Amino acid sequence: MSDPSEMTSQALAAIGQAQSNTELERIELEYLGRKSGKVSAMLSNIGRLAPAEKAALGKAANEAKRAIEGALVARRAELEQARLADLAETEAVDITFPGPPLDRGHVHVLTQVRRQIETVLESLGYQVELGPEVETEWYNFEALNLTAGHPARESWDSFYFSPELLLRAHTSPVQIRAMQRLKEPPIYIITPGRVYRRDPAEATRLPYFSQVEGLAVDKGLTVGDMKGTLLYMIQSLYGRERKVRVRPSYFPFTEPSFEFDVSCGICGGIGCKSCRHKGWLEVGGCGMVHPQVLRNGGIDPTRWNGYAWGFGIERMAMLKHDVDDIRLFYEPDLRFIEQF
Amino acid sequence: MRISYEWLGDFVDLDGVTPQDAADVLTRQGVEVESLTMVDLSQIVIGKVLEQTKHPKSRNDLWIHLVDLGDRKEQIIAGAPNAIPGSLVPVALPGTTVPNGKVVKDMNIAGFRAAGMLCSAAELLLGDDHSGILILDRGTPGRPLTSVIPSQAVMEAEITSNRPDCMGHLGIARELAAGLDRPLTRDFMPAFTGSADPPGRDLVKVGIDDPDLCSRYIGGVIKGVRVGPSPDWLQRRLRASGVRPINNIVDITNYVLLEYAQPLHAFDLAKLEGPAINVRRAHEKERLLCLDGVARDLTTDMLVIADATRPVAVAGVIGGEESAVTNATTDILLESATFNGPSVRQTSRVLGLRTEASARFERTLPPELALAGARRAAALIEELAGGTVHREWADVYPRPQEPVRVNLRPALIDEVLGTHVPLEESEAILKRLNFHVKVMGDGEWDILPPVFRLDVTIPEDLVEEVGRVYGYDRVPPTLPGHRHDRWTPLTQSVDRRLDEVREVLAGAGFTETWNPALVSYGKLEELRIAAHAMRVSNALSDDMDTLRTSLLPSLVDAVALNRDRGRDGVKVYEIAAVYLARVGEKNTQPEEPLCVAAVATADGSPEAGEKALRRLKSVLDGCISSLSAPACTYQRAAAELFHPGRCAAVVLDGRQLGYLGELHPTVTTGAKIEGRLVGFEIDIEPVLAASRTPRAQPLPRFPAVERDLAVVVEDTVTAGALLLAIKESAGELLEHARAFDEYRGAQVPEGHKSIAFTLTFRSPERTLTDAEVDTVISEIRLGLEKRHRARFRE
Ligand SMILES: [Zn+2]
Repeated sequence: MSDPSEMTSQALAAIGQAQSNTELERIELEYLGRKSGKVSAMLSNIGRLAPAEKAALGKAANEAKRAIEGALVARRAELEQARLADLAETEAVDITFPGPPLDRGHVHVLTQVRRQIETVLESLGYQVELGPEVETEWYNFEALNLTAGHPARESWDSFYFSPELLLRAHTSPVQIRAMQRLKEPPIYIITPGRVYRRDPAEATRLPYFSQVEGLAVDKGLTVGDMKGTLLYMIQSLYGRERKVRVRPSYFPFTEPSFEFDVSCGICGGIGCKSCRHKGWLEVGGCGMVHPQVLRNGGIDPTRWNGYAWGFGIERMAMLKHDVDDIRLFYEPDLRFIEQF
Repeated sequence: MRISYEWLGDFVDLDGVTPQDAADVLTRQGVEVESLTMVDLSQIVIGKVLEQTKHPKSRNDLWIHLVDLGDRKEQIIAGAPNAIPGSLVPVALPGTTVPNGKVVKDMNIAGFRAAGMLCSAAELLLGDDHSGILILDRGTPGRPLTSVIPSQAVMEAEITSNRPDCMGHLGIARELAAGLDRPLTRDFMPAFTGSADPPGRDLVKVGIDDPDLCSRYIGGVIKGVRVGPSPDWLQRRLRASGVRPINNIVDITNYVLLEYAQPLHAFDLAKLEGPAINVRRAHEKERLLCLDGVARDLTTDMLVIADATRPVAVAGVIGGEESAVTNATTDILLESATFNGPSVRQTSRVLGLRTEASARFERTLPPELALAGARRAAALIEELAGGTVHREWADVYPRPQEPVRVNLRPALIDEVLGTHVPLEESEAILKRLNFHVKVMGDGEWDILPPVFRLDVTIPEDLVEEVGRVYGYDRVPPTLPGHRHDRWTPLTQSVDRRLDEVREVLAGAGFTETWNPALVSYGKLEELRIAAHAMRVSNALSDDMDTLRTSLLPSLVDAVALNRDRGRDGVKVYEIAAVYLARVGEKNTQPEEPLCVAAVATADGSPEAGEKALRRLKSVLDGCISSLSAPACTYQRAAAELFHPGRCAAVVLDGRQLGYLGELHPTVTTGAKIEGRLVGFEIDIEPVLAASRTPRAQPLPRFPAVERDLAVVVEDTVTAGALLLAIKESAGELLEHARAFDEYRGAQVPEGHKSIAFTLTFRSPERTLTDAEVDTVISEIRLGLEKRHRARFRE
């Protein structure tokens, strides 16, 4: 039987020299192993000893065990600290090595822009309303004061299925349908959707495109309210430095009627090449809803009035992302779509 | 319309108003000036041609001119032969920039010095004519050209369809005068009437057959005119407006059209049978040789001007060649009429001929304008072409213009604009625009719009008149805000709800596309999906004459397009409506179900197709689950566009949503795509309707036990059937069953396959023992043996 203190100092020396956790595990087993460990071995003959000796040996063995355990914990902590201190060298990788391509799909830029527009206008209390794309002559034209033979109808040259049925030339029919359905103002709606005009495809226009129109019907609405709404919308979409101007124009379904322009984002309104030196970019049309149009929607124009506006989603996307050819939106070239 | 700044100066004092200022005022008021071209003539000098000789060496026809420039003479070479000795011409000397941008240099052309250039009207931006040197009718050699022609500014403006009065310089000038608050120096109605005897109405018989199509016809007789070229200033103004000068009579009618917006026509009185004018519809098989040299067949819908025997003009569109004014003409009939707008537009469309006249008539002109235009033209003819105008013209006026009165409650102006406009200012603006304003006892305004403004009929129109001159930039932007006692709570839009689906698809590598809804009918027919197609009756072209009945062909095309551009593995989708005509119901709107469709490429082997199909199925399951709708089931089906052995109907709560499968090989090869395509297309609306807010379930408290089971069955038995049998015989302890492998080969008999399932068992009350699970597995095996003659691989 070895001397406990001798054994302890041997163990502590071995622990102090150990360079790895494996080594420490081996030492732990050597001294503290349940069956064959040296500390257990110390006690193997304890049964034959006198009570006083028993107690002394037990105490010595316990002390030895505690000392070895304490040394193991401390040495393990030292080794771990040393490992962590060296990580920068031992586990360094080439951090510039590129990751493998991610198989991620893209949401189309028109969806993104439509989403932004919906979100901005919902924040003002507007609700999205949808309607059919194949419309009746009445909803598409008559209800909007665009009676047959009206000279303004030239701007809404349409695709027909029969004399009564056509592809809607704007989402305005949804405004009429919404007024008829909701009946009682206040009405604050937007009407995103596809529309069709019989114009040959060019860089700036297509026979099919997408619009968002807005309609507010309430008590005492003003041109100022309409301007404020457009300004809020444009600044929310393009930044608060943008300005909006309304220019008198003519639509049979609004009175007064306007076109609205947004200050050029490149020159800030001074005039540059991209705004053709005007400082302004045309975005859409707007106006105070014509009393007859309200009547056609079942709203009493002596009690309520309204304003409405409309623009192309593609146009907004072109202005936002510098797209110079509208056809790119409907040509499913992934090289284009994946840019957004 | 082209507007000459110089011409506007005839009617309003432009002192201190630059062309840009004028353009800004007009744009702000609703006459949108799209471009402004400045023509600076100050560097051009007047020269007099002394000698003209042909260049002896040049291969092209060139002419050498000796030009007197006042203090010296210069040799100048030109390509046009019309600068004959004695001509006064515009000269650009070396170092100057011609208005069209050309910089003139001292040159030597084949041995002859050329010290400058002689300019054409086009080079000076005074018109479109570049056929010859511009010949001046007056001027002193050596003096600047601006001593006879002022520098020009031309605006290109868009006139809205409600303002035909602005299709003439006088109307534009009236707008400008109102905006500048300066007087308009020309009255709308000229005083000139003519004084020669006998009364003009006795010299020609005028009748209108169809007063609906012609509400007024004025015919003025002018005798003894001398037809010849118009004075230089008049020709120049026509050219600047894009109109080619012809002779003084025709030029004057065109000039008045550009000034008053009233189209006019001059007939050679001697060539009118009768002489009579009959405004009637064309007879069947009538034909007219028109002024542009084209003979046109007329239809009975078209209104014509006829003499006693035959048509001499298409009303409001173009005159006839045979009755036109020529150099031999001495007596003319001056026509100033009012034709029905829609009728003129229709005729002009059918003939495929849009003229300066038809562009104005089709917007509906006021009959009072016809008289103003006639008087102005007659006065100019007497002044510039001689002749005597006979008094008391023929004036058939079956539909006299009714004066319109509009009552305005002036407070409406502030109410609509949202800002305060002082009453005096509003009244002054209306008066500047020639409205007659009478303030009534009750404070309302009784307003009489000017006769040339047929577009003003309701109080809101008057608010617009005030607003646009007052200036909308002076209206402060506000947001509407009212205390409402009713509202509609926000409902999330369908498109925003579908963003959940977009997230799943994007995560699975699918990219969204937007494709045209108009496709080719022939293509749909070829794919046999044209049965419910809506076909456009006036398509622009064959390749977009029909509304698509499925999104899948667009996606197949998308794959092909990207393949052509070097991309092979493609996964695309679209969310859009398809259009399905309701069979047997004519003239009703089609169904427009909103669909989600996706297509992905796979390699050419059957196994690759099957693998891609299974993956796509997971994607579709994910889409539906993202909307919190119950899971859909798949049932073997056959559908157009799909592979006959690899197509499933997608069913939700017993309702068929659409199909998932591999696309038919003919669809793939039809788009020249190698390999296979898998895809699905479902109506998403029932899924949205079935969506429920997910309710939290308690988390399991006891562990699950998993067991794999390999089932050998005949080839015809489907995994779906086995899963159903497993669920039915397992009882409550089976939490989940999933098929994960299919195997055919060595250890499986011929005509059989092995499908491996992972079964998950769990009890909500206790930890399951192996013995309990073994019992359930035995039940399952028994059930599978009975129902599908299954064997089991260990
Ligand atoms: Zn700019």
